[in-house]
Amino acid sequence: MSIGADRPAPGHGPGTPDPAPLVAMRGITKTFGSVTAVAGADFDLRSGEIHALLGENGAGKTTLMNLLYGLEQPDGGTILIDGDPVSFRSAHDAIEAGIGMVHQHFQLVPRLSVAENVILGAGEGRRVRLPDLAEVAAAIEDLGQRYGLGVSATSLVGDLSVGEQQRVEILRALYRGARILILDEPTATLSPVEIDHLIEQLRAMAGTGTAIVMITHHLDEVMTAADRITVLRSGANVATVPAAATSPLELARLMVGREVTMLSEVGEAGEAGSRTGPASAGPAVLTLEDLSSKSAAGTGGEHPRDFFNLSLEVRASEIVTIAGVEGNGQAELEAVLCGLSRPASGKIRLGSTDVTGATPRQLLDAGVGMIPADRYRRGLIRGLSVAENLVYDRIDKAPYGRRLWIDPKAVAARGADLVSRFSIAVRTPSTSASTLSGGNAQKVVLARALGTDLQLLIAAQPTRGLDVGAIEFVWNQISEQRDSGVAVLLITTDLNEVTALSDRCFVIYRGQLVETPLDREAIGLAMGGAGSRAERAPAR
Amino acid sequence: MTATIEATDSPGGPDPDSAAPVAGWSARLSSLGLSAAAVVAAFVLGGVLLALAGANPFQAYADMLSGTFGSRFNISLVLVETAPLLLIGLGLAVAFRARVWNIGAEGQLLMGALAGGAFALYVPIGTRAVLIPAACVVGALAGGAWGWVVGFLRARWSVNEVISSLLLNYVALRILEYTIRKPLRDPVGFQPVSETLPDAARLPDIPGLKTHIGLLIGLGLIPVVAYVMRRTPFGFHTRMMGLNRDATEAAGVRTGRLITAVMVVSGAFAGLAGILQVMGPESRLTGNISPGFGFTAIIVALVARTRPIGVLLAAVLIGALTLGGDVIQRTQQVPRVLTIVIQALFVLLILVADKVGRRSR
Amino acid sequence: MNWGAVFGAAAIIPLLNASIRLAVPTGLAAVGESLCQRAGVLNLSLEGMMLSGAYAAFLATHYSGQPWLGVAAGIGGGMFIGVLMALFSVALKTEQVINGIALVLLASGLTSFLHVRLFGVTAPERFDPMAKLEIPLLGSIPGIGSVVFDQSPLVYLAVVLIVGVWWVLRYTRFGLAVRAAGDRPGAADAAGISVDRVRAAAILASGAMAGLGGAVLVVGQLGLFAQNVTAGRGWVAIALVIFGRWSPLRVAAGAFLFGFTDALQLRIQSASGGIESDIPFEFFQALPYLVTIMVVVVATARARDDAQPESLGVPYIKGARSS
Repeated sequence: MSIGADRPAPGHGPGTPDPAPLVAMRGITKTFGSVTAVAGADFDLRSGEIHALLGENGAGKTTLMNLLYGLEQPDGGTILIDGDPVSFRSAHDAIEAGIGMVHQHFQLVPRLSVAENVILGAGEGRRVRLPDLAEVAAAIEDLGQRYGLGVSATSLVGDLSVGEQQRVEILRALYRGARILILDEPTATLSPVEIDHLIEQLRAMAGTGTAIVMITHHLDEVMTAADRITVLRSGANVATVPAAATSPLELARLMVGREVTMLSEVGEAGEAGSRTGPASAGPAVLTLEDLSSKSAAGTGGEHPRDFFNLSLEVRASEIVTIAGVEGNGQAELEAVLCGLSRPASGKIRLGSTDVTGATPRQLLDAGVGMIPADRYRRGLIRGLSVAENLVYDRIDKAPYGRRLWIDPKAVAARGADLVSRFSIAVRTPSTSASTLSGGNAQKVVLARALGTDLQLLIAAQPTRGLDVGAIEFVWNQISEQRDSGVAVLLITTDLNEVTALSDRCFVIYRGQLVETPLDREAIGLAMGGAGSRAERAPAR
Repeated sequence: MTATIEATDSPGGPDPDSAAPVAGWSARLSSLGLSAAAVVAAFVLGGVLLALAGANPFQAYADMLSGTFGSRFNISLVLVETAPLLLIGLGLAVAFRARVWNIGAEGQLLMGALAGGAFALYVPIGTRAVLIPAACVVGALAGGAWGWVVGFLRARWSVNEVISSLLLNYVALRILEYTIRKPLRDPVGFQPVSETLPDAARLPDIPGLKTHIGLLIGLGLIPVVAYVMRRTPFGFHTRMMGLNRDATEAAGVRTGRLITAVMVVSGAFAGLAGILQVMGPESRLTGNISPGFGFTAIIVALVARTRPIGVLLAAVLIGALTLGGDVIQRTQQVPRVLTIVIQALFVLLILVADKVGRRSR
Repeated sequence: MNWGAVFGAAAIIPLLNASIRLAVPTGLAAVGESLCQRAGVLNLSLEGMMLSGAYAAFLATHYSGQPWLGVAAGIGGGMFIGVLMALFSVALKTEQVINGIALVLLASGLTSFLHVRLFGVTAPERFDPMAKLEIPLLGSIPGIGSVVFDQSPLVYLAVVLIVGVWWVLRYTRFGLAVRAAGDRPGAADAAGISVDRVRAAAILASGAMAGLGGAVLVVGQLGLFAQNVTAGRGWVAIALVIFGRWSPLRVAAGAFLFGFTDALQLRIQSASGGIESDIPFEFFQALPYLVTIMVVVVATARARDDAQPESLGVPYIKGARSS
């Protein structure tokens, strides 16, 4: 990533006091119930700059920008645009004022076309009829050409890759005349190659005077992309510095508020340290043979949901990773591996038993543990207590129950045991699971899956959205499973996770697998689909 | 989770409304208080309607009270109304807990009445102690079978159960009407009704009351349902599915099978209520065995917040209200259907009370 | 039994004409419901909307003698339940299934209460249903003319409205907002659309159409009101939305199928000798409901849930946005 060299000069010299910024947020506060999300933050944005908003999870970055975008209203403070105070009642007002926001989770409607998504909500209330969609599409494609954001404006958004969907989001903001563009974690779901492209495109936009805010917690991207950096901690800004005058180490110190060892160094140390497990893996526990979610002959595999002709082996005492950018077939693969949907063709073997089309029950009974990617949808029932959540997949089995009764004492005892073993922070195991924080919720999911003897663990995005401490806990638990002889299949989008845990690594791209060496560069390239899949033999 | 009238665990993103910890006695008490307040408010609104209809609301409610709980005989009549509502309401409470919206209890009741009634009429068993239980089983099986159709369609082809169960009500009614007009018709009567049931199939009254023993069956089933829901894997899985179906499936529960089972159970309760009406107050098969018990019981289950003991309270309340409607129609010349308006208000106002209660917490 | 009286050349034109006539009340309600569901609201109060509209139309026509006033009142009656539905589903964000069912009960109770209160047990006199309006020239086309262009003016109004809903969904900003709100309300919100307003508007439109459907039944066809006169047509309409895969024109086609079944069963009943027939007339009475269940099964079994709005029946709570 060497974009920095040809970066155009921002409108003002970095670091100089700013007489009339495009956007000025002063003393902003926002609380949700008893939680203070933003506590007196200041933020300035100039035309033509890329301004990174940096901070840990929960530092208030996204909330601050939601306030600027009118999605929430501040409890205190003022927002000035071009020096005039504004107060937005909704995103609609902000859009009128020339602000566009690209959310981390894209706010697109998959069953509408790109053009329809772009004009959705625009000019609301003025004209009854929609504009001519063909004209809109042409205009969008024009705009796309100008900034290198090529996308077919007549396709359905649901058929696009994640990177293309992000382009649609950016084009939508530009189409509506945004001169202020807010991007929330824009790189979270992109491959390294796509990230480079994105930064190039953002540069081009900034060059035409657009002001860009980039919310992120990735230090390396900040250093290559941003002109200035504002660091938030606990809802308040701790510093605004020109990128040229700072270092990753200083930024990390500002984010955390104390001296730290660099995250990427931790990642690399983990990479080296994770090889502590048994060097030789055991017999094959999980075997996938030519597994497809849809007959590949059909639609040609362009739909991001499907996967084709996957073959791999996971042996005892090893962690095999399927890395990849989100939306390349992982969700469907997870559903098939967990017995929630049937593959169209191919075989799944557990040891020597054919478990193709087995139900979740049969897989659980066979010693398969599962950590679902969407923990709130598939891994937790918030209306039940923590203890009940910890045993709900075996409530009809001794000692918790039989066909006709449940032993609440056994449930409570198991709950208490797992709560302490996995250090889940709750008052008592009978507390409702709806009170759990993200990290503790994931610990419950983990404890339920790992609390018994497993043959195979399938972990999908096990650390998504967790803070650093919880991530470490989850990683340790997974490596301990490997060390005790369990075969682990890890599905993840996080490159750090891949390098920290994997023994072997595959990359999934457009539903097909490629085996890659354990090398960040190589994995990163493969995640972006480098080397067309026609040229690569499917991995065996 | 005390309020099952609530929306489900919404996938993705915390739902501020369901995030409040709702376990424990205080919450349970306050939700009881909210229900009570909603019921009172519904009566107040009903009073306004009474006044608009030209009656004195205070007098009307006084008449209602004395006409329902004023004497042992009146209480017996209330309990006769209560019995089917209690039974069907228990079954619906199980279904609604699973978020399976069975609104076909009326049809399930009719099929139970028809099959059980035909059995009692034509199977030559002379002993009451054998015939009555046997007919009950037949009625429950028939109601369960009618419910099974709905569950099967939902589990197999994801056919929305609200639609299928409701439409099957009309089909069931036509089947019953045909049967008593043709094959089961009493040949000597002018009305399309069946012959009177043999004595051995007539339910005895509860000693000291003019209420048939069907009520006791309902009462006896309350703890059974409560136990099943709290302390058996079936009940646990049912509650799980009502809270989060995706997680339930991922935990290895076959939700399709469970939905079908839940439909069969709630259908069986309705079918049992049906045959008890035939062997109890009706004494024969007629076209109007049920004045809409299957629909009223939906209100019962919802007002009870799907709790078994709440079903009893709600069934007595709504049973009395229904009977009270007859009373004020007599004394105040107010149409008895007013009570249906009040019942609908119960549910709507409980929904309001829940929201207000949650916001203030 | 005389099948010629059912399917003979002379019978087929009146049969198709009757199919359209009988399809209209259900079709209006169903198309309105499809708009509502496309916005993400599972409106189960539809039967109540129809009933309330039917009664308002009856009262207005009865007291004024003006059928068109009855039609307007019917629309208002449907929207009355619509306002309540919007209050609960959109403003209070309660479980849509529950408040929908409760509102059906409320409408059934209120209309019956008023009817008994106002007219006692003696049914009020019938009034003459609105006269047919044969469209000049078109009405004299052989075959088609007497099937399509010899109908009550309300039928033409219904056709215009049904096509109108299709047009609105496809070609207007509001229609696009509806489609977005039903699939991804969070995305619609982020794009600056008020999901609540869109959903409330869709519910009210659905109330207006269902109310009109009830009015057509009473003013255009029966000339009387009886308790629960809609007899489950609202529920059938909801089923037709599923059958029509949430597309207004396909839903309307489903309504025609329902109307045809209804017309056919009436015809067969009278042709087969009513009470004394070999085939029990109850079978024919149950037929429209059975056919509806079957078409829903076929529609859902074949197409799975692809066409169903993704957020159907899920209340949209603004603060609950994930991130």
